[in-house]
This record gives sequence, structure tokens and C-alpha cells, in this order.
Amino acid sequence: MPDAGNGGVATGGTTRWANGQPSAAGGPHGLASGPHGPNGGAHGAEGRVSGPEGGSLWRGGGGAWAVGDASRPGADAASSSPPQGTAARTGVSGPTEWRGLAARSLWASGVKSLAIVAGASAGLVRFLAGRDWPVGGVVAACAGAAVLIVAAVVAYDVLRLRATRWRLTPERLELRSGITVRQHRSIPRDRVRSVDLRADPVNRLFGLTVVKVGTGERAEDGAELALDPLSRHDAEALRRTLLHQGEEAEEGGGPLAELSWAWIRYAPLSVWTFTGAAVVLGTLYKALDSFGLKGFTTRLAVEGWAWLTARPLVTVPLVLAVNLLVGVVGAALLFAESWGRYRLEREPGRLRLRRGLLTSRSLTLEERRLRGVEIGEPLLLRLGGAARLRSIATGLGKRADDETEDVAALTPPMPRAVALRVATAITGAGLPALAAHPPAARRRRLVRALVTAALMMFVIVAVAALDRVGAGLGGWVWLVPVAVLAYGVWHAVAGAASLGHALTARHLVARKGAVVRRTVALDRRGIAGWTFTESYFQRRAGLLTVSATTAAGRGHYEVLDVGRGGGLDLAARAVPGLLEPFLTREKQ
Amino acid sequence: MNATRLRPPRHQVDPRAVAWWTVQWLILMVPVAGAGVAAYWFLTERPGWLGAVVGVFAAGCLGLALVAPRASYRVERWEVTDEAVYIRKGWLTHTWQVAPMSRIQRVDTARGPVQRLFGLADVTVTTASSAGAIKIEALDHEVAAQLADRLTTLTQATRETPRERPLCLGRGTRPGKGGRP
Repeated sequence: MPDAGNGGVATGGTTRWANGQPSAAGGPHGLASGPHGPNGGAHGAEGRVSGPEGGSLWRGGGGAWAVGDASRPGADAASSSPPQGTAARTGVSGPTEWRGLAARSLWASGVKSLAIVAGASAGLVRFLAGRDWPVGGVVAACAGAAVLIVAAVVAYDVLRLRATRWRLTPERLELRSGITVRQHRSIPRDRVRSVDLRADPVNRLFGLTVVKVGTGERAEDGAELALDPLSRHDAEALRRTLLHQGEEAEEGGGPLAELSWAWIRYAPLSVWTFTGAAVVLGTLYKALDSFGLKGFTTRLAVEGWAWLTARPLVTVPLVLAVNLLVGVVGAALLFAESWGRYRLEREPGRLRLRRGLLTSRSLTLEERRLRGVEIGEPLLLRLGGAARLRSIATGLGKRADDETEDVAALTPPMPRAVALRVATAITGAGLPALAAHPPAARRRRLVRALVTAALMMFVIVAVAALDRVGAGLGGWVWLVPVAVLAYGVWHAVAGAASLGHALTARHLVARKGAVVRRTVALDRRGIAGWTFTESYFQRRAGLLTVSATTAAGRGHYEVLDVGRGGGLDLAARAVPGLLEPFLTREKQ
Repeated sequence: MNATRLRPPRHQVDPRAVAWWTVQWLILMVPVAGAGVAAYWFLTERPGWLGAVVGVFAAGCLGLALVAPRASYRVERWEVTDEAVYIRKGWLTHTWQVAPMSRIQRVDTARGPVQRLFGLADVTVTTASSAGAIKIEALDHEVAAQLADRLTTLTQATRETPRERPLCLGRGTRPGKGGRP
């Protein structure tokens, strides 16, 4: 059992503590997860989360400092035991001194607090105006509120900045932070896998950048260490130092991909273009409602409806056109914001992605974590001849929680040929010709479409028969099954045409999807097992779904509806030796 | 015509599984069937045709509870070689799962309260993939404990890349603990 215990510590250690010193790290772990210890691995796995946290979170007490420092290798008394309760001030010197965050952050927070000021002022104005305050009084109240809010935010930031200290020693990156609950976190430098930079417009104005240092483990809570913010120069320097060494060692070949503004033409090729404006309008309507302007919005809606129905032949197309226009403009703006200054580069051992017109982001992806790429072609993009690329990598999944963006995205929508070229450059192998799947796969889809339409027809006939009067159903209902059939047949044919698979020297390639077509190239060494499923109907059609499980990306990637023998052979060849003992081959 | 097929895994699950599954199905199905009959008896005017429908429904529920465990028993099989874990399951949809020993990160055994009455246990094998957990159901609990031990030894021996994913092995329940009533 001690083995399992140590394994747990090792995993935990990657988030904050070194595991180079199991004996030292064993201390806090043992304390925190003692009850789990004897029970074994299942609980040990939980313990590995709670263990290090218990050790590394210290809550203002002097004893906790001692725990933290004892388990840190190379901690020398001089630098690591500053006066408790107050953060190490700038004066503390050691082998590498503790440093503060960028003081200019105060200005940035001041500016950002103006957003709260604006909201609060709007509320105040409405409230006070309702009570017949004079204009001067309202202005004075707003000004007072503004001063208070800005002062409070800046004061908080002063405290936060004073409480936060970081340093980079030859072995590790350490961060002490927290105003009330003090935290001390540290990441061994040889575990640093990613250094992501992000600067929103206000931060950029003041030359600031937020740095997130990740260990590349499955991003459990706290696996990242954030320095919010550093000056842009310091941030770049830290990034270079942490990801070491490689002072642009090989500048050969230039970037893998760089933004071409012509790609903005693909931006509107999304469902949001057609629905986005309506969604925005609805949100706006709701917002006005919640501001208490219900009478206003209701009147607006009534008048709008009257105007719309007065001359529908003119107004309806007009509204649709405006909706589309707003959608197209919005999509283009969004594209420009997220993908402006886009640049994908290869650095030694990693990919670096930079993008963002206003908020600039810089993401790193270690190639060791990369298990392949996925080429996505949603219907509209496909019709426009475009595609986009996502990475399949370990440890990316959870990060999506606090960010609304797709962290796995490698490229914006770009011409298909360019996307394929980038994919080739990243994976080191071109996309081979894909083997088609048996005709049974297509038959199966067609049957499904026909059955769906037939069921629909049956329901309508039944309703019509029960409805003695016959007035309840308009003639148009008969169009529904026809439309369903047409869509179903298209879906079946397109879906079957999408199916394909291939095996290259390094990758298992599979393609599927009627509406969103996805081509996945999965590194064969990343395959951690197989699942084969055969539904009743698949069995009758001699088909099989082969699913490769992997630690990266979505967790499993499927080769859908492949012929039974072919699918098994494919899996057997993709990971030699694994499947052979379980197969029987009959010569026919 | 390519005739490659998956052969069935070597071992069948413990015969007591049938009884255990039947109990589980009954726990689920008896209330369902009972609710149907009760609704018919108390909430309707008890027309004959509806009575027939409800009767068929109730009989179907109970029949399923008796048939499904036996069908599952015939389908569910498992095998552990030195290189891989291999199972087959599923009655309408057949499913085979294979995980190489070198990718296994965790081995857990678990015993539910009802399962304990029958002296059975499950062994779950987890890989780094979020989709890759393999559950060998309804083994004799001592067989399960031995299997978990063997898997632990095997995975430690064949661990391919010790650095990349630290291994965390062990069992949820200790073999000696709990035990039979």
C-alpha cells in the first residue's frame, strides 16, 4: 500500500509540490489523507487531491508556514520564513528575491471599475429621478458613488498586490498570495508545460499581461498558477525562461499559419449569423424589462407587431435582411476580435498560438501532449470550402470551464487546403485517401430516414382519421413528412458519404458526420484501448463501431459503421499485438 | 468477405450473478408493475380491455425481470491476460472492451449491499481515458480480490511510461474486510 500512497503524492505533487522528495512530501500527505491511506487506491486517488491541498494551503498560522516550507526542497530559512501574517515585503532577499506584481495594475483596475460605476450610476439615476431629485443632486450622488466604488476597487487591489509575491528559483516557481486566506503555491520548473499570456484591452493600454503557468496535468482545480498581472516585458521574459532556453533556437520556416484577412469571409458561415441578431434583440428586450421599462418595451412590441403585420410582404423580408446584416457584421467583428493577429508557430517541442485583436492571448501546447488533430467542417463552412482545426491533446479539457472559448482551437475557419496543410505540418503526415465504408452503412441510414418519415406519416394519418370533422388539420401538415423525408434522405446520403477511415504510419484517421463533418487523425500511440459495439441492426448488417479510447480530447474517437472484419483488422493493425489474441480469423 | 471476428472472452461471470441480477430487476420492476395494476384498480372503472392491457404489461415487466438476467449471464464474459483486460457485455447491443495492461491506472473493487448478500464483487479497471473504464461485473468476491491483486502486480510490471501518468493502484475495498454475513 505505501506504493499507492506515494503514487498519490506524486500526482498531487505535480500540481504544487515536488515529488522529488517523497519523504518530505509524505508528511503533509499523510496528515491530510491518513484515513484513506490504509484503504487503498480508490480512496488514495481522492487523497491525492486533498492531500497536497491540505499541505499547501496555509491559513495565516505560523505552524502552517513551517509545513509548507519543510516540504519544499531547497528552502533555506533566510528567504522562506518572512514575518508571518504580512507578506514578504520587497526588501526580502534570498538566492532569488521575491517580486511583486506590476504596480500599474492599480490604474488598470481603476479604469475597469468605471464599468461598475456606469452600472451603479444608471441605477441611481433611475431611482433618484423617480423621487423628483434635482439634477444637481443626482449628479452629486453619482459622483459620490463613483468615487467610493473606484476607491474601494483600488484599495482592494492595493491589498491584493501587497499580499502577492512570486519568485523564480532555479528549481521552482513560487507564488504567495491571498489577503485573508494566505496561499503558498509552487510548481517545479521541470513540470511547467504551458505558459499562457492574456491581456484584455485595458491591460494592454497599461502594458500589462496576465500569466498562467500550467503543469499540463489534467487541470484539476489549482493546477495552474496565475500571475495577474505582470508587465508585458516581464511576462514575455518569464515565458521564455520557463519554457526555457530555446531562444528561438530554430527560426526555420516561419509560422505554421498566419492570419489572412480574406478568411473573414468565412466568419458569417455559422448558424449564429442567422440567429444571432434575434438573440441579441431578445436579450436587449429582457434587459430593458428588468430595468423597469416594461411599459416602454410592451408598447414597442405592440407597435412593432402592428407595423410588421400591416404590410407583411414588405416588412418581413426587410426584418430578415436587417437580421442577416446584423448577424454578418456581428460575426465579422467577433472573428476580428478573436482571430486578429493570429499566428501559429512551432517552437522547439511545442506549438505557440497567438491571437486576439483587442484581448491578446498567447497559448502554448507541448507537442508531447498532442495526440492528433481534428478537422471540423460544419455544413455552412463546408459549402464555403472552409475548415478549421482543433488539437487533440491531454489535459486541455477542464480548462474550458472558466473560459468561454474553445481552448483546443488551433486555427480560425480557413480554406480547406490551408487547413489540411497546417494539419500536415502539425502531425507530420499528410491526410491519406480514406477507405469508404460498406454500402450497408448507407442502406442503414436510408432505412432510418424512411422509417422516421413513415412513422410521421402514420401519426398524421391517425390524427386525421380520429379527427372526424377534418377541420383541425390544414393541408400543409402533409408537407411535414415530405420535408422530413427529404431532410432524412439528404442526411443519410451525406452521412454515408462522410464515413471513411485510414491507417497511416503514425495515425488512425476517421471521418464522420453529415451536418458537422469531423476528420480525426489520432496518434496510434495515444490509443489506450478499444471498445467495439454492435447494435442489433448493425449486427444484421454486418457492421460494427470501433471506438478508440484515449486520454486526450473527447476521450474516445469512433470509426462508425465499418464492416465487421475490416473494422477489427483496422484496430488490430493500429495497435499491434493488443487485439491479436482475441481475434479468430477464418479463411473463406 | 473478411471473416475476422472477436472470440468470446474465456471466463463467464459467477452463476450467482443470475440471482443477484434477478433481485435487482425485481426491485425495479415489481413497483412498476404494481403501480400499473393499482392505477387500473383504483383510478379507472375497470373496463375489461384495459384490464387485459395492464395484465400483459405487468406480466411483461415480471417476465423481463426473469429473462434479462439469464440473457445477460449468457453474454457477459471476461478475460485477463498478461497483456490486456478483455470483456464482452450487452444483450441487444453487444459491446467488447479491450484495455492494454500498460495503460491501466487504477483497479477498484466494489461490493453493493445486495451484491454482498450473494458474495459477489465488481472489479473496475480505469485507464487515462475518460471513456475507458472497464467493469468486470459479478465475480465471486474472493476471485475479485485475487484478480485485483493480480492486475495490480501486472500493471506495475508492464507500466510503459512511468513518468507520463503516475500510477495509482489499489482496491476500493480490502479483500478481508466486510466479508460475508
